[in-house]
Order: sequence, then structure tokens, then C-alpha cells
Amino acid sequence: MEVDSQEQLQRKQSTYLSLDENFEIQKEVYRGQQYSQIYFARLHMMRTLLYSLVPNWKSHLPVCTVLELEEGKECIIVGTLYKHMKLKPCILDEYSKERSVAPLIKPHNFMHQDDYLVLEDESGRVKLGGTKLSPSVYVTGVVVALHGKETSAGAFFVEDVLEAGLPPQIERPLKSREDKYVVFVSGLSIGSSSSNPLQFQLLVDHITGHLGDEEEQGFAAEIVHLVIVGNSVEISHGLLNGQNLASKDQSRLSEPFKELDILLTQIAASLPLDIMPGSSDPANFALPQQPLNRCLFPGSATYNTFRSCTNPHCFELDSIRFLGTSGQNIDDLTKYSEAKDKLDFLERTLRWRHLAPTAPNTLGCYPFTDRDPFLIDSCPDVYFVGNQEKYETRLLKGC
Amino acid sequence: MATTSKNMNVFYRQKKNSSASTGKKSTKSPSPKHAATFGSDITQPPALVSHGDDFDEQEQVLRQFDMNMAYGPCVGITRLDRWERAQRMGLNPPKEIESLLRGGKVKLESLFDGRV
Repeated sequence: MEVDSQEQLQRKQSTYLSLDENFEIQKEVYRGQQYSQIYFARLHMMRTLLYSLVPNWKSHLPVCTVLELEEGKECIIVGTLYKHMKLKPCILDEYSKERSVAPLIKPHNFMHQDDYLVLEDESGRVKLGGTKLSPSVYVTGVVVALHGKETSAGAFFVEDVLEAGLPPQIERPLKSREDKYVVFVSGLSIGSSSSNPLQFQLLVDHITGHLGDEEEQGFAAEIVHLVIVGNSVEISHGLLNGQNLASKDQSRLSEPFKELDILLTQIAASLPLDIMPGSSDPANFALPQQPLNRCLFPGSATYNTFRSCTNPHCFELDSIRFLGTSGQNIDDLTKYSEAKDKLDFLERTLRWRHLAPTAPNTLGCYPFTDRDPFLIDSCPDVYFVGNQEKYETRLLKGC
Repeated sequence: MATTSKNMNVFYRQKKNSSASTGKKSTKSPSPKHAATFGSDITQPPALVSHGDDFDEQEQVLRQFDMNMAYGPCVGITRLDRWERAQRMGLNPPKEIESLLRGGKVKLESLFDGRV
């Protein structure tokens, strides 16, 4: 048997910087506030931005608030969109005695041709008319500037829309010219009937360089980081029915974590890894989801290469900015709007400069009082979303 | 009727204080010892009663600050936090409000606190 070649293959390394501080809620105190605070913060930030963009767009028109609208006066208004949806599930439907329009079986998408958009700011709201603003594209929570005029019916006829557009990207020259790779994995669903431990083990072996010849290992050595983008475990819902668990069931509850921890220990021993919570993981439900507790990973958490991160997750590797979520924001957009593919939704969130515009309307969210952490102020170089049906990628070039 | 409503008031206040939302500072509200005296405000809900000592000039200024839409909603946030938030957002809230709030002897919660 041949002894290992003299040249030991070294894994490439990158400098890591975590930017998740904005998504952490340990310092937040709940004082009984409602969601009006986060909507105010969002409107204020976006409006300031849009006001600065309006002169380059249509400088000749006056800007006014919703209450200052006059019939026939052409102007620009800025506010938060609200989409009135006929089929959107409402808690009051459960109490209404007469039959509602909504079918008994929950549809995957709640759109209806009668949906209409309303623009709202602190002074008031106005129904939007015209064909420029399509209710199938926009969702509640997006802040836009609209050019148009008030009609005799009291609605606002939209002639043109201004979205915030792609945020500025910090120009940083690449220091090295060598290739480095980041692996993104999501939806491992360990503990579900469909998960195959052999597949995950194969992935781990490949990343850690235990597979293949020197060329394959050389390729694996260029992987500098692994990000697990949510839904790593799946606890069977039969166990979570509110009954007290028998002791044999209790071990079934922790089985998926033990399995995950064994595999993550192998990875953490080899390269830096980030794990994000997803919708099926034991983290809080509302966004931003907080990092999974390190106690769940007794083996891998001892490594300093192991990082439990928030969802959404933002970090920098060698000054390249990465930003992404485990999918709840895109899944919610899928329910309340439509697009040709998921990448269109992703692009829209970038152009609206907001990770999750439907939060807190239809997506659970913490009631922040002084900021909206989902606003994107610097364009990431890599923007990712996990737990979608298939793998897709797109290169987006701004001006 | 008047006595029951007074008891309801006390009961209601106790419930509010035990919840985690409000701070330690209890709101001033004079409770007349005699139940149904002529001209008493017992039957009125607290929000509509204008308590003489609550409604001094400083409180009036602070209530105007609460009601000002430019600084955002006032419910669920203390006045000082709201002032600081407005400051951080570049809305230039008046400095007198800050000195009033930091000076003490004024209500730190907005006018809707405990009433909404």
C-alpha cells in the first residue's frame, strides 16, 4: 500500500465576519407594542430613501401625502402598499355564520382576480387604480412611490411606479485570484421517512476529502465554508400532539438531533460550518428566527468552526457579502403573489430592498419598535434562499 | 352602580400592574374616597376624566408630543424611547421634550398607557 504522498493537501481558508447582530432579539424588550411600530420604522426608512430618488425620476412633479391629494392634481405619493385579498384566510371567518367565499380546502395561493391594492401612510389610505401596478406582483408591506392623480371616484390612478431598486453594493476588489467554494445545503429533514442517511454521509465524505482521488480531494480542499440553510430535522407531528410523552417516545424526539450532531461533528472537524434554523426546526416561529441552541449539538458545538446562526443570516467571507433565508419569506410570497419562478420572487425582494415584505402581515415577525431589520441597505454579492423545490441560480447585474 | 364601578376600577388596575407590560411607575389617578358625591367622575371611564393635577402644562406639552404623527405611533413605547427613536431617525424632535422627560416628575408612559 502506498504511503500518503509527501504533499499534504491543505484546505483553503477565508476570513469570516458575522453580520447577524441585526437579527438577534436578546436585547429586545416586549412592552406590549403592536406592529404599528415596525411599519412606521419601515415606512420612514424607505420613504427617506424614495424621496431622494424621486428627483432623478420625475423632478417636475410635487410630492404630497395621501391626505393632501386633490382631484385631478398630478403628483407623487409614497406609502406602504396593502393588498386586499378576497381569499386571504381571516380569523373572523371561523365565527361568521354565513358561508364565506373561501373554499373549504386551503388553496396554496390566495390570489383572486378581485384583489386590489391600497396605498397607506400615516395620514390616510387611498385605493389604487390603473393597470400599471399589478396586484399579482405586489404584496402588502412593500413601500413604493407612485406617480398619478386622484380620480373623481376617490381612487388614485397610477401612471408610474418607482421601487427602491437594487441597494448599493460595496465595491471591494478581490484580494486573491484563486477559486474558493461555499456549499449550501438545506432541507436535510433528518428524522423524516424520506431522509437517507447514506446521502448525507456521502456529502460529508466528499466535503471532508474522504472520497475520490487526488483531483477530487483537491477540489474538495477548495471548499472553505458550509452553510446549512434550515429544516435540518423533522420531528414527526404524531409526537407533538400535546400529550405527555412516554419515555420511549422521548428518545424518539431526540433521535434526529443525535444523528445530525454525529454528522455535523465530522464536518466541523474539517471546515467552518454555519447552521440556520428553518420552519421545521426547534427554533422560534416568528422571524427573525434565533440560533438553534448549542445544547442540541453536544459534539459539534465544542468546535470553534461550528456556528449556530439566525434566520435570516448575513455574513462576509473574504469581504464577499452573503445574505439569505431558510425560505419562509419566499414561501409566503408564493402564497400571496405570483411569478414565473422562485428567482423572480428573490429578485423582487432585492428590488424592494426588503427581505420579507409580507412580515408581519402574513408572516410571523417580532414587533420591533425602533427598526425594521429586514431592510436591505447593502446589496449582497450572494443572495440565497433554502428549502425550495429545485436548485436554480441567476446572475443579476445592476447598473 | 357607582360603588361597583369603583371596585371594577381597582380590580382593573390590579390586573394591569401584574402583567409584564407596564413599568414600575404607577400612573397617578386620584381616587375620591366618597363614592357618589355630587360632581364626581366615578362613573366616567378614566380616559374621559380630566384630572386637574394630571393636566398641567408639562403634561399638555407631552401629550402633544404623543399625538404628533411624524414621530410614529405612541402606543406600546415609553415617551423617552419614542423621543430617542425619533432622534435616531433624524426627525429632530424638540429638545425641551427630552429635558422634560429626563427631569422626572412627569409621566413616562404615553397618554394611552393602561387605557388601550
